Amino acid sequence: MERKSILNLIIIIMFSALIIGLCDLGLLQGAKFRRLSDSNCIRLISQAGSRGNILDRHGEIIVDNKISYDVMVLPQDLNHIDQALALISRILGVEVKVLKAAFKKNFISNSVPVTVATNIKLKEAISLGEFKTEQPSIIVTPKPLRHYPYGPLACHVVGYVNEIDRWRLTKLEDYGYKTKDIVGFGGVEEKYDYYLRQEEGGLSVEVNHRGKFMRVLGFEPPRNGKDVTLTLDLSIQKITEENLSGKKGSVILMDPLSGEILALANFPNFNPAIFVEQRSKLISGLFNDPDAPFLNRAIGSSYPLASVFKIVVASAGLELKKINLSTSFVCQGSIMVGARKFSCWDIHGSEDIFQAIAHSCDVFFYKTGLLIGAQNIHDYALKLGLSRNMGFELAGETSGFIPSPLWRKINKFQNWFNGDTANLSIGQGDCLVTPLQATNLLAVFANRGYLLSPYIVKAVGGLDFSVKKKRVMGVAFKKSTFEIIVQGLAKVVSDSEGTGNILSTLPVKVAGKTGTAQVSRGATHAWFVGFFPTDKPRYVICVFLENGGPGHAASLIAKQIIEAMNNQGLI
Amino acid sequence: MRNSFFRILILALIIACLGVLSIYSSTFQKEGTQWQEIYKRQMLWIIIGLACFFFISRFNYRKLWDANYFIYGVAIFFLLLVFGLGVIRLGAQRWLRIAWFNFQPSEFAKLAIIIFLARYFSRKSIDDTSLLSGKFGIFQGIILPFIFVGLPMFLIIEQPDLGSGLMLMLVFMGLLYLTNVRIKYILILLAALILPLPFFWHFLHDYQKQRLLVFLNPNIDPLGAGYTVIQSRIAIGSGGFFGRGWLHGSQSQLYFLPESHTDFIFATFSEQWGFLGSSLLILMYYLIVRQGFIIAQRTHDSFGKLLAYGISLLLTLQVFINIAMNMGLAPVVGLPLPIMSYGGSSVLVTFIALGILVNIDRTRNVF
Repeated sequence: MERKSILNLIIIIMFSALIIGLCDLGLLQGAKFRRLSDSNCIRLISQAGSRGNILDRHGEIIVDNKISYDVMVLPQDLNHIDQALALISRILGVEVKVLKAAFKKNFISNSVPVTVATNIKLKEAISLGEFKTEQPSIIVTPKPLRHYPYGPLACHVVGYVNEIDRWRLTKLEDYGYKTKDIVGFGGVEEKYDYYLRQEEGGLSVEVNHRGKFMRVLGFEPPRNGKDVTLTLDLSIQKITEENLSGKKGSVILMDPLSGEILALANFPNFNPAIFVEQRSKLISGLFNDPDAPFLNRAIGSSYPLASVFKIVVASAGLELKKINLSTSFVCQGSIMVGARKFSCWDIHGSEDIFQAIAHSCDVFFYKTGLLIGAQNIHDYALKLGLSRNMGFELAGETSGFIPSPLWRKINKFQNWFNGDTANLSIGQGDCLVTPLQATNLLAVFANRGYLLSPYIVKAVGGLDFSVKKKRVMGVAFKKSTFEIIVQGLAKVVSDSEGTGNILSTLPVKVAGKTGTAQVSRGATHAWFVGFFPTDKPRYVICVFLENGGPGHAASLIAKQIIEAMNNQGLI
Repeated sequence: MRNSFFRILILALIIACLGVLSIYSSTFQKEGTQWQEIYKRQMLWIIIGLACFFFISRFNYRKLWDANYFIYGVAIFFLLLVFGLGVIRLGAQRWLRIAWFNFQPSEFAKLAIIIFLARYFSRKSIDDTSLLSGKFGIFQGIILPFIFVGLPMFLIIEQPDLGSGLMLMLVFMGLLYLTNVRIKYILILLAALILPLPFFWHFLHDYQKQRLLVFLNPNIDPLGAGYTVIQSRIAIGSGGFFGRGWLHGSQSQLYFLPESHTDFIFATFSEQWGFLGSSLLILMYYLIVRQGFIIAQRTHDSFGKLLAYGISLLLTLQVFINIAMNMGLAPVVGLPLPIMSYGGSSVLVTFIALGILVNIDRTRNVF
């Protein structure tokens, strides 16, 4: 080939190479470069919507938001930044050094506006806003913050909000969660985070190569989160918290017909506002507190049910026809089971079932329990909702535990002795029940035969789904069984020697059962679980005091609560 | 033959207009009238360039044969003058300040060297009027012309303007190849140039080393030397197929792309006109170059033939290296895109070169 043709060819190849390079950049990688180009010159200034409010059953606000203002600066060349920071420092009265440090700390990349001051006053925000034309790179954005008008009220139900942690982020990344997002921790805030969550809106602005603001490209209004309506009754919740305060334990009030939780209080509690204010010292102090203020005791920890468990044994005995109305046992203060002496807390003499429940006679139930057998007691306890998760909405529920001979054989390779049966009959030993389970147990007797699924969220975003939440399971006991036990429970209060006699002075008739759980260390746990009014139960109440002394202490608190409710005309 | 005149004129005019549009789009938002008026200056240069084009196209190119040594001497003189009086801009001493404009002698020198080489290789044997170049030995064929080319080249590289220097080298090689100098000699020259390259590395300026390293991987220095290439690739890529529209390129108009009206004008253009516009632009450049080659092929006068080849090669290499550098396919060297880039010297010299090309086609029948 001639030299000039070869050269011609080379030139054609050169120009073709240019076209191919153009194809590669513009057509094949065009989308990528378009994105890069946009990220060069488009800055997004996000504006947060407000998180959904949490309301009580009547629509009263439990948790809402208040507006605070943040100051942000668009990253650009240092000279401009210094000018902007000097202006901010003049208006806020903060030293430039502090602002510079904040700028350095919060700087992510050139494309993200940097927050230099948070929670500034409305007045300051307005005066900064006046400099919009001179210093367009200073941006003041409203930021709704969680606001707790009642402080720690219902904190275990509500939970708190904080910056998302790594573990949650890995789980939630696919649902559009980002780092530094504020998400709910614990309680309804966590469980219903997806609905409560606001959607970010914001401005998109164009900047030049020095990061200088050029013009606004678009605005997308932020969307607020959905409100969550709880089944809680704010006034009852307040009463319970007032009466519980200072005593470790929890109080639950529930509607025995629907399973709606009307009040759920735990102590020790915490004020969720400390997370909004980022008071890290207080927070870490709370996390290290041995009394576990973040623990939702009502569902998250289980205790021996003690004498309250006698209801289970009694109903098992009646159902299995091991005892009846004419059965009576003589209590002489103690009984020998095998080679061990099991004592009663008092000498009761001859007791029938009503008296035995009213006086909480241990001997009666040792004997009844031995007649029924441990496996049967276990089975009936399960029928009444113990020893299993009830699928409560809030996270951190434990299932509790009821031992049985079969379980012990399989898991511990140990035999079950009559002594264990006797122990189980009075709710001691390995028998562990959460306060919510105890509440639910009493509800079965209050509504005569329906095991409920307690729930605490009534509606989300105005959409009421309490009908779907209301799941009831029939408990196929004889009608007479319920009547006998309810009579027994009524007698606990009405009998002059009943363990809950202190409640008899109330204007409302209350039925219930006390319990005093022995623990290996420290004072006994105190239980009072009951319902009122006896004839037409509208409330189930459970008062549990951890290491709170005898059951009497719990009855006292129950009395105060019911009294206060009555005074406010809530019953 | 009037054909080639109009073809080249129309193509060059279209490209020049696109250039003005691109210069306007990349500077109209800048502050200061000096920036905003820059497109008008370019228009003035184009008008002067066109005047030169018309004048040169009627000026018999054979006169260049006689004026050859004078032109070469003037080029060397100006290059030397740059050393003493040159204006330093962007870290390089490439411009001479004459009256109200800056003149870049290296642009002029490129053309002068091509004229010189065409003259040198088209000498004819006295006996049979055949070209001497085929019979040249290694001294006459390679070493002597290399010395003549090497002198201005050295001055240009020392400015420093490595890109223009190397491009001259490539034009020299191309012309050697076309003038029937033995392949063996060309290969020897090539070897003599390539082998000591690792050694020359030490003589490169730091910024030149940096640019070469950055060419291999622009991301090693994304805010420094690699910045321009990254931004230029983004500008070209973000144009997509149809482009973002005139005056709508964010890369060039918000100044993310440096030198968007001079060396990187192709990226500016490409961002706004997309793949479609840019490939048409490349096609137009190809058509001009092709005209040049066609003219060279049908010219029987060996001086005219070589001159046409040289001018076409010069254009080809400038266009190729500039666009390839815009796309990140070649290292960043300070080469303008002929006719499009802002710069009086480049526009003027290119139009003069095109004028010579047209004139060769017009006068060849005389011989």
